[in-house]
Amino acid sequence: MDLMDQVLPLVRKPARYAGGEWNAVHKNWGEVDLKVAFAFPDVYEVGMSHLGLQILYGIVNSRPDALMERVFAPWPDMAEKMREHKISLFTLESQRPLRDFDVVAFTLQYELSFSNILYMLDLAGIPLRTESRDGEYPLIIAGGPCAFNPEPMADFIDLFVIGEGEEVINELLDVIAGGKQKNLSKRELLLKTTEIPGVYVPSFYHVHYGEDGAFFKIAPTDESVPERVVKRVIKDIDQVPFPLRPVVPSTEVVHERMMIEVLRGCTRGCRFCQAGMIYRPVREKERGTVLRQAAELVRNTGYDELSLVSLSTSDYTPVQGVIKALVDEHAANGVSVSLPSLRADQFSVDLAKEVQRVRRSSLTFAPEAGTQRLRDVINKGVTEDDLMAAAGAAFREGWRSVKLYFMIGLPTESIEDLDGISRLAREVLALGKRAGIPRGRLKVTVSVSSFVPKAHTAFQWEPQTPFGDLKEKQAYLSGMARDRGLTLNYHDAGVSFIEAVFARGDRRLGQVLSKAFELGCKFDGWSEHFNLEKWLKAFKLAGLDPAWYAYRRYDYSDPLPWDHINPGFSKRYLALEHQRAMEGITTGDCRTGSCPGCGLCGALEIEPVLAGSERDV
Amino acid sequence: MFRYRVIYAKEGPARYISHLDLLRVFDRAARRAGLPVAYTQGFNPHPKMSFAAPLSVGTEGEAEFADMELTRDIPVADMESALAGSMPQGLRLIGVSKAPEAAPALMAMVDRATYSARARLASPLQNEELAKAIEVFLARPQIIVERRGKAGEKKLYDIKPGIFAMSGSVNNDIIVIKADIKTGSSGNVRFEELLAAFLEESLLPLQGRFVLARTGLLFKRS
Repeated sequence: MDLMDQVLPLVRKPARYAGGEWNAVHKNWGEVDLKVAFAFPDVYEVGMSHLGLQILYGIVNSRPDALMERVFAPWPDMAEKMREHKISLFTLESQRPLRDFDVVAFTLQYELSFSNILYMLDLAGIPLRTESRDGEYPLIIAGGPCAFNPEPMADFIDLFVIGEGEEVINELLDVIAGGKQKNLSKRELLLKTTEIPGVYVPSFYHVHYGEDGAFFKIAPTDESVPERVVKRVIKDIDQVPFPLRPVVPSTEVVHERMMIEVLRGCTRGCRFCQAGMIYRPVREKERGTVLRQAAELVRNTGYDELSLVSLSTSDYTPVQGVIKALVDEHAANGVSVSLPSLRADQFSVDLAKEVQRVRRSSLTFAPEAGTQRLRDVINKGVTEDDLMAAAGAAFREGWRSVKLYFMIGLPTESIEDLDGISRLAREVLALGKRAGIPRGRLKVTVSVSSFVPKAHTAFQWEPQTPFGDLKEKQAYLSGMARDRGLTLNYHDAGVSFIEAVFARGDRRLGQVLSKAFELGCKFDGWSEHFNLEKWLKAFKLAGLDPAWYAYRRYDYSDPLPWDHINPGFSKRYLALEHQRAMEGITTGDCRTGSCPGCGLCGALEIEPVLAGSERDV
Repeated sequence: MFRYRVIYAKEGPARYISHLDLLRVFDRAARRAGLPVAYTQGFNPHPKMSFAAPLSVGTEGEAEFADMELTRDIPVADMESALAGSMPQGLRLIGVSKAPEAAPALMAMVDRATYSARARLASPLQNEELAKAIEVFLARPQIIVERRGKAGEKKLYDIKPGIFAMSGSVNNDIIVIKADIKTGSSGNVRFEELLAAFLEESLLPLQGRFVLARTGLLFKRS
């Protein structure tokens, strides 16, 4: 075949495009009604580390009437060869062009991947804009966290799925299968899908802008379509299908391990965090389920590392017992257990100690802000004592390298908060010295990102700190932290700026994306590809001002471009949280039983689910 | 420790598994097969497996060799059936045999390899013309190829002493070239560079690229 024999030998890392991995599902094309392509708008190594892909792949392929195949963004060297050889973007399993599928489902994990969706559609020979595609083309759908503000992508995506996908994907495929049988037009089919809770079809909504150019309102153009689309949420996380036969890549990817999701949601309530809001309520898997799934994964994958994933695994009620049981059961077979994220406290270090019996990489803590005042503003429930206890314990236990995550540009930030970052970093360094770690070995890495206000958070009304000020803040921090053993990393402030524009953007940004794509923007999450000048040019060509989007301070009463997406909790709660933030008042964890009143449980008829904490069952 | 010799084919999508990734792929396959793989001691234990000779990414392997150490003595037939059902698409198990523990490393035993290359012709070519072109090519006193040194500097290298045989055939519009060349730590000849050197001189009317396969690995006589 041309692709395999003639093209792959010419590109870097051809295994990205070859397919044939363990557990990949190859169905007989002719025997299946519905063909779905899962499209991840980044390279193979990133996409194959994404649990959501494996979840949906497992669910769709378990249907006798459907198949799901995978496609990733080809690296530019491959794209060039594909154009040269007139090869249309294809899936890994059947190597068929995307055009042959009924549905192409993109995941929206981060705003900077939006340009890659246009890049992939173009490589597939599929018209970019939804109105340019008739029923002959696949339905282009999207889900994932960025679908909670879908408007910037609304020109290109036929249908968004809001919230958790495990159940809605089946309902959607049933409707699409029915539509295919009845030969419905694209419009008829799309209208039909709006009956499914959680489905948002942007072409049935009209956006109105005020005379000042600001977003005014978004309203349905068809009376049968809901005014607000409520997110989907899985009630029983214990029973929901989980991928126990995930595809195991044959080449090295970002995360080379088994993933077990131990809980969904997070109750900590950090005010900048979108994931902590949109994945509410917290739902924990039962201990027995985790152990059972782990044993199956070990058998089915051959990996030697098992990761307990979630937004905050150290919060998982039976975490200690589960880790102990997993280590007892699998350590003899060379399988280690890992935790992706840690809270900054002694408990977490004890957990880390438990899991890292063999390998000692660095430990990461995320205090996020440099002073207690600012940590109270963002509701990051970590104190300086917690951090010092955690770092001290880590050094005593033999870790020599500690990473600290901070954010700059947070609302109400002052110079004292920046000083606080370098003070904390130095104190952690001093702790390491006191613990007797040799000078050459001791390493404290401070990773500093820039605050991006996100839709559906308490800080959604807040402006981003201007680009120039962020650069100054970065320079100020660099000037202070020159100690040996201390390393400072920054996220590119330009990337954060574009991220902020899209995170709170409206439908007009579709024009910007079109222009940016025409100017060659792609792989914007990769520093070697991100080009701020091109983006600024795209805004100019589209006649829109990015600063207006990123730096705008909204009033509580202002209509917001994402108001029609209902995340379950109330906007009033967010406003309350915002006020409390400005007053420096913290809000408790709803896990403890004291309900902060976000309104979600009542609205979605759901309750937080905590697993039993008994040590041994 | 118990040492096993695994013979396998590397075809289809598995041709694009790099030599570096192959160890990981075999390790996982063996774990899925439930085999008691032996690991090295130390900070980062890795499976005790070794491969006869690296195969270029994209080249098919018709009969490749790997040695694998297990901590328990497993009947060869059991190992064969377990492993055969655990390999990703394109890695096809041909057979397993026991290797004496004292046997030298596979890498040290392999001496020569046979290859074949296949391509479509853009215009007709006679078998005699091809044979003549190969004869002229092999008659050169030296066959110089360019290689990159460790520091990226260009080096010239004569591959002629490492070419033991070379032949070609044309069947309709398909051309096949075969070669028997030196493989191993010293005097190694890469089939791609041999082909490139030949093509440079003979200007064959190809349509597309050659598709390569290593058809066999030859062991030193001991």
